Amino acid sequence: MPLPGRRSLLGGLLAGVALSPSGPALARLFAVEKRNAETFTLANGLQAIVLPSRRAPIVTQVVVYKVGSADETFGHTGAAHFLEHMMFKGTDKVPTGEFSRIVSRNGGRDNAYTTFDSTGYHQTIAAEQLELVMRMEADRMTNVRLTEREIVPERQVILEERRMRTDNVPASLLDEAVREQLYGRHKPYAMPVIGYPDDIRRLGVSDLTSFYRQHYAPNNAILIVAGDVTTEQVRKLSERYYGPIANRRMEPRHRPAQGGTDLPQKVVRADARVVEPRWTRLWLAPSYRVGETRYAYALQVLARLFGGTETSRLSRVLVDERKIGLSAWASYSPSSLGLTSFDIGVHPAKSRSLGDVEEAVTGEMKRLLDGGVTVEEVERAQNQLLAAAIYSQDSLASGPRIYGSALSTGGTVADVDAWPQRISAVTPDEVLAAARHVWRDDGAVTALLTPAESSR
Amino acid sequence: MKRLRVLAAAIASLFTLLPVVAGAIEIKEITTPLGIKAWLVEDRSTPVVALSYSFSGGTATDPAGQAGITDLMAGLLTDGAGSMDAQAFRQRQENTAASLGFNASLDRLNGSLRVLSVNRDEGFELLRLALTQPRFDPDMVNQRRAQTIASINQASQRPGSVASRTLMETLFAGHPYAADPDGTPEGLAAATPELLKKRAAELLLRNGLIVSAVGDIGEAELARQLDRSFGVLLTGTPPALPPQWVPPTTARTVVVERPVPQSTAVMALPGIARDDPEWYAALVMNHVLGGGGQQSRLFNEVREKRGLAYSVSSGLRTYRRASLLVMSTGSANERIAEAIKVIRVEMGRMRNEGVTESELNDAKTYLTGALALSLDSSGSIAGLLHSLQIDGLSPDHLTRRGALIAAVRLEDVRNVARRLLRDETLTTVVVGKPVGVSPIP
Repeated sequence: MPLPGRRSLLGGLLAGVALSPSGPALARLFAVEKRNAETFTLANGLQAIVLPSRRAPIVTQVVVYKVGSADETFGHTGAAHFLEHMMFKGTDKVPTGEFSRIVSRNGGRDNAYTTFDSTGYHQTIAAEQLELVMRMEADRMTNVRLTEREIVPERQVILEERRMRTDNVPASLLDEAVREQLYGRHKPYAMPVIGYPDDIRRLGVSDLTSFYRQHYAPNNAILIVAGDVTTEQVRKLSERYYGPIANRRMEPRHRPAQGGTDLPQKVVRADARVVEPRWTRLWLAPSYRVGETRYAYALQVLARLFGGTETSRLSRVLVDERKIGLSAWASYSPSSLGLTSFDIGVHPAKSRSLGDVEEAVTGEMKRLLDGGVTVEEVERAQNQLLAAAIYSQDSLASGPRIYGSALSTGGTVADVDAWPQRISAVTPDEVLAAARHVWRDDGAVTALLTPAESSR
Repeated sequence: MKRLRVLAAAIASLFTLLPVVAGAIEIKEITTPLGIKAWLVEDRSTPVVALSYSFSGGTATDPAGQAGITDLMAGLLTDGAGSMDAQAFRQRQENTAASLGFNASLDRLNGSLRVLSVNRDEGFELLRLALTQPRFDPDMVNQRRAQTIASINQASQRPGSVASRTLMETLFAGHPYAADPDGTPEGLAAATPELLKKRAAELLLRNGLIVSAVGDIGEAELARQLDRSFGVLLTGTPPALPPQWVPPTTARTVVVERPVPQSTAVMALPGIARDDPEWYAALVMNHVLGGGGQQSRLFNEVREKRGLAYSVSSGLRTYRRASLLVMSTGSANERIAEAIKVIRVEMGRMRNEGVTESELNDAKTYLTGALALSLDSSGSIAGLLHSLQIDGLSPDHLTRRGALIAAVRLEDVRNVARRLLRDETLTTVVVGKPVGVSPIP
């Protein structure tokens, strides 16, 4: 969920306007909001965002590359993630494995992540050590040594990571099967971020080197620095360390406008390791970039009011009133360079079948499609979303996450800053139209997770 | 205005790399007119108030036959209070952007409140209602009980959860810490609304209450709000602490079969109490062995060099009546025996050789600097203050901590390594289909 990384919107609330059940008051607060993110671009194309905060004498540096697993090809899945691991090996200046040790011995922490659309590297450290981590991050933008000697044990590490996250977890294995149906076999988003085991075993020096050369360059990266720092300091340091790195010609990123062609589908995983069954349905949905993008904000409100909290429709009807589910939820994330999904899930109550659950969920969907949504529930959902955004201002980590996610999926700083107003502007009619657009049988995959012996 | 900044600066700056900031840290100790004591860090940089508080008595004092009642009760405190049922109570929180939560650990009943400072009256009023007029409506009791049983079932299938649970059952056999904080289906079934109310009355007392507050609120206003929320609670006698734990004196290995490709291993030794004079030496030793991130010996030997695991680490755990040093990893069934062997070799090397001068220095800079990194939000700072109080430390601890870490010498680490890393007290639990791991009863 994208949340604005701005601090000053809180200023309006400080002035003494209490949150009330009416959305427009909050919307007005956000509307007068003044932007806090400062941006600039280096001559080589590196885009920088600075989020100053003097709360604690620490800084977070994040470098996000606009490449993720959805930029891989079938047969080479897992390359983006494998490369992310290899970025912690050595360069000529920083010996193998030393990157994190240097950060640590300077009182900092570091890590990295890979998603379908992006790969990010981050360090949090005392403000005066920004230069140190910037020098090292710039160094490994182009100078990592990818050798067979380093790759061999790391491949085993990645296979263990896959066992831990996926092969040991029936719900994750089901999710892999569902994505293949929803997005279409061998298509971006259909293949797991961590990769298929056979591909992980096959990826070698040449694959990773060419992936690195193709995607790691200043003009394909976003630098985000948050914390006790000024834009001028970041500009000076980044010109010194990232500035000399040559840019490269980037291929455009491709994402299909269509998903799976043979929908609806039902995918069942009956697994001896499962004791608590689960019913899930995913629909192909527009993101901020692909499909009917005009629904992207209304769908966030829809997910919230239909299954976002324990006061949502699904929770009240299925869990509280009819006692068909132990819990029920809906979720939707629009930050994707390609299509995304709208998901509904229910954990059935004991003695209730997955069929009972499906009937109840579709009944509630029909009720919404027939009767629409009320102004009151839309405003409550908007308030929840905006309140979460306000609290995200209280955390130093959230700003870089929000801007990194937006800018690596084709969004802009202006989009992030306009999020509160766009959420506040959603009307009940738009929520209904968005539901009608997405909740269509020919865009859905139903996923059933059951114990092995059960056939329900 | 900048108090939090001063606090963080003081924490970050106590070691040599960073400029030393003199001066006191602004943790204020307050006592309200009704006698509630609290720590406060006033920070006006965000319009949020965060509260972290706890009561004496946790799941280890669940009454006989009612395993799980304390944690169930804790969750139900926010499922309706006063004239509001669960839905009304939740909507009231949502409408005021206030967030209340309770949970129970082995030793304490913990809670938090987060509210925008403009809505503080509403937030503290909801807290008062949750503490003094919880409803325990039968419908909600049934719902939370069913959810808890389902989550116990789910945990019983996750190798990591099974390993942790089995470790506690093995180490603490015969002691209340052996019991699952979530309880058992039988114990939960026995938890009627009447018994839940009784349990709440037994635990929600002024004696043993610990409160920390951070954010956009001054002393006088906090005192007024704390008296509103906590002032009407009764005084009384919290449940007695469990008996002291007698650590095992022989090594054990337990294998739990699960049909998974990767085995999870947890290995535990008797640990060190928070108030032990060797605590800081143990902190350094653990950091070098397997603490922190990617710099530890276990990370290097198990993951970097041999590719035996994705995740490998060690950590110190403390409870009121026990303490542990726990190492954990996960490796393919065919390789878990080797991973365990490497961990044991590293235990032995640490015991025999201690740490090097440079490892000692690196650990000190990390442990000193990293505390500031965790001051990420008002809630996390309130949590830090709360944990200092739980550990019986004084408000000036944060100014002294750096010096205590800096004072650790090579021989201190070697001594504490010899004391803790003893093979004959090692309990190992492996969950999966491990090859080459034999149970030792």
